[in-house]
Amino acid sequence: MTTVWAGLATGAIYSLVAIGYNVVLLASGTFNFAHAQLLMVGTFLAYTGAVTLGLPAVPTVLLAAAGTAAIALIEERVAIRPLLGRSDAHGALITTVGAATILDGLAAAIWGRQPLTVPSGLPDRPLTLLGGAVRPVDLALIGLTLLLGVGLHLWTRHTLVGLASLASAEDRQAASARGINVRLLGVGAFVLAGAIAGAFGLLVGARTYAVFDLGHALALFGFVAIAIGGSGSQLGGLIGGFATGLIYAFAVRYIGAAYPQLVVFGVFLLILFLRPRGLFGAALERRV
Amino acid sequence: MAAVVNRLRPLGVPILLLLLLAGPGTGLINSYWSRTVMLIAILSLLVSGLNVVLGYAGELAMGQVALYAVGAYVAGYLGVRLGMTDVTLALAAAVLAAVVVGLVTGVPGLRLGGWSLAMVTFFLVILVPNLIDVFEHFTGGTLGLAAAVPTLFGAEITGDRLYILILVVTGLWFAVARNLLLSRHGNMFLVLRQSPILASMLGVSVYRLKLLVYVVGAIPAALAGALFSMLDGFIAPETFTFALALSVLAASVVGGSTSVYGALAGAAVMQLGQQTFTQFQDWQLVIYGAFLLLAGVLFNRGLAGLFHDGVAAACRRGWLPQNRPSAKAAAASEGREPHLGRLDGAVLRTEGLSKSFGGNKALQDVSVEARPGEVTALIGPNGSGKTTLLNLICGFYRPSGGRLLLDEEQVGGRAPYRIARLGVARTFQTPLIPQHMSTLAFVATGRYVTHRVGLLAAVLRLPAFRRGYAADDAEAYALLRLLGIEDVADRPVNSLALGTRRLVEVARSLAAGPRVFLFDEVGSGLDESDLVVLERAIEMIRAAGGTVILVEHNFPLVLKLADRIHVLSQGQLIATGTPAEIQADRRVLAEYTGATDDEATEPATRKGGR
Repeated sequence: MTTVWAGLATGAIYSLVAIGYNVVLLASGTFNFAHAQLLMVGTFLAYTGAVTLGLPAVPTVLLAAAGTAAIALIEERVAIRPLLGRSDAHGALITTVGAATILDGLAAAIWGRQPLTVPSGLPDRPLTLLGGAVRPVDLALIGLTLLLGVGLHLWTRHTLVGLASLASAEDRQAASARGINVRLLGVGAFVLAGAIAGAFGLLVGARTYAVFDLGHALALFGFVAIAIGGSGSQLGGLIGGFATGLIYAFAVRYIGAAYPQLVVFGVFLLILFLRPRGLFGAALERRV
Repeated sequence: MAAVVNRLRPLGVPILLLLLLAGPGTGLINSYWSRTVMLIAILSLLVSGLNVVLGYAGELAMGQVALYAVGAYVAGYLGVRLGMTDVTLALAAAVLAAVVVGLVTGVPGLRLGGWSLAMVTFFLVILVPNLIDVFEHFTGGTLGLAAAVPTLFGAEITGDRLYILILVVTGLWFAVARNLLLSRHGNMFLVLRQSPILASMLGVSVYRLKLLVYVVGAIPAALAGALFSMLDGFIAPETFTFALALSVLAASVVGGSTSVYGALAGAAVMQLGQQTFTQFQDWQLVIYGAFLLLAGVLFNRGLAGLFHDGVAAACRRGWLPQNRPSAKAAAASEGREPHLGRLDGAVLRTEGLSKSFGGNKALQDVSVEARPGEVTALIGPNGSGKTTLLNLICGFYRPSGGRLLLDEEQVGGRAPYRIARLGVARTFQTPLIPQHMSTLAFVATGRYVTHRVGLLAAVLRLPAFRRGYAADDAEAYALLRLLGIEDVADRPVNSLALGTRRLVEVARSLAAGPRVFLFDEVGSGLDESDLVVLERAIEMIRAAGGTVILVEHNFPLVLKLADRIHVLSQGQLIATGTPAEIQADRRVLAEYTGATDDEATEPATRKGGR
């Protein structure tokens, strides 16, 4: 059961990345490769708040959320907006990788290349729950991620803004013609995704350390979560993330410490091959 | 003068290579610079592989570094553990390994477009240290692997000989890349990059072509790895980092992804930058990122793009002779009156064809027939299902019900490229036009599948390739002449005005010599003189025995051209008849004008309403 808890806690982080991808994808149809880097920046800002400035938990979370949201806003302005309306769809492939790389480089320059320990402020002693040991911070991470994922899922399906975002992801021009402010929606999605990533910086950092290349692994596993869950499905991404975490944890436990990434890679290839739309995604037909 | 320049043009690259080759032997460059040249050559191989995939097929493959590692370890393992130090063997084994890795990752990674391949290949890079560890027995693990001294026919390849080997291999690869990319295959890659839909309409399986491009792009990376292991004599896991992957990507966009030699320029900039600026290490990630961001946003075509613009400007001012590839084709078609050969039209029939999206019934129970030597028009208001019907015929949509028959063979539900190969050609409401291609070359892509020249023939520039190329160009030119637009043959096709683009699309669809033509609002946006040309072209197709299906809003044009008209409204067929009958049909009139006299509001016409 301890393995399950470890898997769920790691998986929660992957779910967070997948949720961030989906928030932007649903509102603007863009895949923001740099989202995992936003989470990385969130962990560093949480470190700055909690350690450098010595702030309590709530102001730290607010600081990290606001800071990361601001960076997401800049990213949207610099790397995404200039590409809107281009016929060539490959631009974002390059610019978001560029933005991610700049964030990596800046984080390394500002906070150094050594991992930093982020204190969560929660007690460190593991609890015994359902026959397995779990740290309170991990429990908080799992719980809040679940809450966020389900909340966003309901929000997209049942509120006007959520439905508008679905509509504009489907067809920007049609949505625009219906009076939806497509651009504002896109910017809003980036800010929301950034704020979420920042707000979770403290909990994520407490589990993984703050380190400049955190984004690489998270981007990949977050994408595996999307591949499992189907792109654009918040619930799918949530489940996909937890599933990825569990696969990872069980591979470590039963195969060996060198293998979990290989196993996840194998699962990833298998899913792309057998169910390219994800286990939960519906097949969409191409439009001409 | 002009003739001399043109004659020397293809020799420029070999001459440069010869000068470089002679460098160390004649004391022209010292060992520092010879090593730099070798490193640039190796990096340019990595970049060139990425260019093939990113610049031509439009897929982002970040795994060049992983393939680089594969090449290095395969060559190292053969030399150290098996004692096979022959370079030809090492390079061949590296290529084989690259193809295997390319297939294993490409087959699943390319199932979905966009980010899947990027992520699969990115994953591969992250896995490299992991794999080195797991296969410690083969790779020497984190300690690295000391490579054996390479040999060629028993002679040791070190010093100047290694220098020559690396440059020759690099030169050979670039020759292969050039011959591949500057051929119909390369043009088809560009079409694929711009629009997979258009590629499948030209009868190309998008998935297979992408896989081919991706696997081809993997080869130089593995070659680079094998060469690098010979250069350094030691294979260290630290070489194969994510930062290297990013520098390859940055070099690609700096040099210009959609170019052959841009890889060399980009690699040189990156390599020299790293060696010259000591601060480069600290800020390399920021620099790479900035390059990517700037190149992506400014849409710049890199150094190669600047070079091409410069050459084009020089040609315009008469400093350099104009290069007119269509001149030969023009000469070949000189004196021939433009005319269309016999077309083997097919009967296209739908039986109760239906399509629904979720609960929305876009098309219900539509049965139409289009016969050879006739123009069959589909008309109806916006949203009546005309384009849905075309998409069903092309295979872009799967029918929800009913049958689609081509000469009595049921083809409904087949993949678009299979239907295209049966001889169904199409133009699009918004013409699909690729970038970086001349009009002549674009029209010739229509013949890619029907008059295929093999990959090997193109790479080796065999006589079959030259013959095929000349025939393609002549045919394309003749078609442009047929449509009266031969003067734009050498212009970039994406620089043309909308009206001309439509005519170019008609020429392209004719190039394959198809059996059924689907023209989707081909007349809209054309001015009077272009319309006259178009009318004449459609009449010629009809006279030549082709089957024409015309979707058109221009009612007078339809009345003039069509032999038979089908009227769709709200997803249903409401009338079929000759132009005269349709013109007299009051229900059709009601649909078009909103007139509501008694007859026009008969219940029968309204039953399709939701």
